[in-house]
Amino acid sequence: MSDAILELLGISKFFAMTAALSDVSIALRPGEIHGIVGENGAGKSTLIKIMTGVHQPTSGQIRIDDVPVQLKGTRDAQERGIAAIYQEPMVFPDLDVAENIFISHNKLGEVVRWREMYAEADRLIARLGVSLEVDRAASGLTLAGQQTVEIARALALDVKVLIMDEPTASLSAHEVDQLLRIARALKAEGVAVVYISHRLEEVVEIADRVTVLRDGQHVSTRDIGDVTTERMIAEMVGRDAGEFFAREKSHATDKVALSIEGLTVDGAFADVTFDVHAGEVVCLAGLVGARRTDVALSIFGVVPAESGTIAINGKAVAITNPKQAMELGIAYVSEDRRKLGLAMPMSIVANTTLATLEQFLSRSGLVNRRRERDVAESFRRRLNIRTPNVNTSVGTLSGGNQQKVMLSKWLNAEPSIMIFDEPTRGIDVGAKAEVHEIIHELAASGVAVLVISSDLPEVLSLADRIIVMREGRQMGIYDGAEATQENVMQLATGQELTAEPA
Amino acid sequence: MAAAVLDRFSPQALRVLALFVVLVLIVLFFGSQIDNYYSARLFNRVSTSVAIMAILATGQALVVLTRNIDLSVGSIVGFTAFAVGDVLSTYPGLHPLLAVALAVAIGAGFGAFNGVLVAYARIPAIIVTLGTLALFRSLLVEYSDAKSIITANLPEWILQLPRANIVSFGDLDIRITFFAAVIVVITVHLALTWLRTGRKFYAVGSNPEAAVMAGINSTRIVFLAFVLCGAFAGLAGFFFLARFGNITVVAGLGFELKSVAAVVVGGINIFGGSGTVLGALLGAILVDLIDTSLVRWPLVSEFWREAVLGFLILGAVAIDAVLMRRLLALRHARMKDRRDKSVAQDGATA
Repeated sequence: MSDAILELLGISKFFAMTAALSDVSIALRPGEIHGIVGENGAGKSTLIKIMTGVHQPTSGQIRIDDVPVQLKGTRDAQERGIAAIYQEPMVFPDLDVAENIFISHNKLGEVVRWREMYAEADRLIARLGVSLEVDRAASGLTLAGQQTVEIARALALDVKVLIMDEPTASLSAHEVDQLLRIARALKAEGVAVVYISHRLEEVVEIADRVTVLRDGQHVSTRDIGDVTTERMIAEMVGRDAGEFFAREKSHATDKVALSIEGLTVDGAFADVTFDVHAGEVVCLAGLVGARRTDVALSIFGVVPAESGTIAINGKAVAITNPKQAMELGIAYVSEDRRKLGLAMPMSIVANTTLATLEQFLSRSGLVNRRRERDVAESFRRRLNIRTPNVNTSVGTLSGGNQQKVMLSKWLNAEPSIMIFDEPTRGIDVGAKAEVHEIIHELAASGVAVLVISSDLPEVLSLADRIIVMREGRQMGIYDGAEATQENVMQLATGQELTAEPA
Repeated sequence: MAAAVLDRFSPQALRVLALFVVLVLIVLFFGSQIDNYYSARLFNRVSTSVAIMAILATGQALVVLTRNIDLSVGSIVGFTAFAVGDVLSTYPGLHPLLAVALAVAIGAGFGAFNGVLVAYARIPAIIVTLGTLALFRSLLVEYSDAKSIITANLPEWILQLPRANIVSFGDLDIRITFFAAVIVVITVHLALTWLRTGRKFYAVGSNPEAAVMAGINSTRIVFLAFVLCGAFAGLAGFFFLARFGNITVVAGLGFELKSVAAVVVGGINIFGGSGTVLGALLGAILVDLIDTSLVRWPLVSEFWREAVLGFLILGAVAIDAVLMRRLLALRHARMKDRRDKSVAQDGATA
């Protein structure tokens, strides 16, 4: 017996061979706000998806009121009183507020009684202590308003467990206060609120208990009185020594290859300023939502900056599209291999030469297939791509080998500035070491390298300098040799205790 | 003030209003170009032919609302018109209601075939219905065995149907078929407005991901949309048979284009989620009115009629896209304004 309303017992979840969660147990009590914190990839998202029935656990048990249950889907979870709201709210822009709240309410009967529905929606919104016109279209609402709609939808379903996944990541300070007030109101009504946030100060402010996850494992669950942000950070980053990679000596030269100043894209990031020297490896560290990718996309010309300057080899340039960026010697290895990087059904050869096809044109304007093949073959050997032959389609390769194909594609363009976005996400340790090796080789050959990574040990072993970002702002720059996981994490989570924001 | 109106009223309401204005302008335009344009004959002709298109557009609207499209409706109209005509030629004693039920059932069957492939097999609707557009037509060719349905073999009641009136105002006749079509449109409109299942059509098209998260069975809704669309196409096929009597294998050819045109011109968002079937009715009237009027306009050759229809679709979609972008930009600016203000307030209180 326990006093828990929802209990996860020894939950493990495997995707293919990777463990996203292993043996995690958490008990949620009615009327508590339970904070869950952890680094990117600690398993928070997977945990939510298991609680809301999106994923089925590979092993372990879920109990509701001490009864073992199986959550067959979001709908099943909702009917059992478990609902979630997300950073990006899920509303129907074309329906009005009241309809958004009651759309999935089947027990109300088939005929919609509009007047009653509006009145009931008004009551729910008032219960949350906010004001919102219930008869206007959801498309006109602010993000905070849309979240309120989602919370009201959950309330209307008699929710017993409400999961808030990074609810404040895109809210203004005023809106955050309002959301925290709503969370407390729910707690007072006996709802168990799961509060997941990168903003540790918020968690400390609102939570009754805090659970720390790391690498898919449960580290601790403590009452808030026993918790400090420093201790949380230490538990979030603590890792086995074996996972650290040895630092190599720096190849940085005095020559500034890329210099950006005051770079701003409205609504994404503001006033980002740093240099990358030839032969230097600079890492952009931070948590998900720190807008590091936006900075890279802006340098690469996908979303050109609205203000600020970019200079390459001391010459100011205006980059408005990726083609221009490539002509200036910039390459961008994207985080999302599937969406932005590789043509999955096409062969390794075709992917390798995709960005540099003009190199392979013969005088007649046709593609020289043999030379394409030779180049792909040389990269296969150089990067140790494990595949029977280079005509294999990229989609059949493992993540690490896909990443290497993507690298071949950009290496073939012989860039002088190379941007890596999460180069080792989702690939195994062996391939990771190989990718690091490639990055070192590039730097040694004089290429300026910018690496975006959420993997702190990786950042610490690769970087000559570390730029920490948080929510679109540059928080500070560390020398790679001086930085520690703790002080980078403090800047990334907004605990400005030891370092001055630059 | 203008901004408040902008926030409160859906752009859709404004579009339906604009459609009315366009309709009036077009009537005035043709009235100035064509002698004897304002006649009861024109009204009767347009209303009879709108009866078919309005029902078809209603079905199409249901599908488009869910962010899908049905290109096979023309072939369904052709097949049902022929099949029901064939049955009535063989059994002239068949009860009229049974004949209607047969048409609806055949259409619903074809619709279910589309629906299974789109909703359950998750093949894009444009591919599925492009395939069945050809498939259903080929079935008709096979079924017809190189014969046609001819008026002489049909029972008298069905031949009288298109000319039967509910009421007449002088020379202006309100035909039973037109009346029935309007009843269908209004019924569907009420169902979409007042039934929970109806609202889910909008929800699924408005944000498919959110629909799943909200526990809506979107697979079932999309399937239902295709079945209903097929059923309405079957009903339209029955009216087609009644109106023309002589049915060949090319019956209903090109109707898919006209139904999509009616829906889009009528203000239903091609990306789903917004619009009304009343708009689709207006769209159908507009498309038909232009079609019918162009026949009598000596300046435009027959070959250009299709082109005018094409221009109409492009124009409607372009206006829609531009309008929506402007609206969103305006809203974005207002939201940002509001947020800046609230930040400023926070700063003041801190």
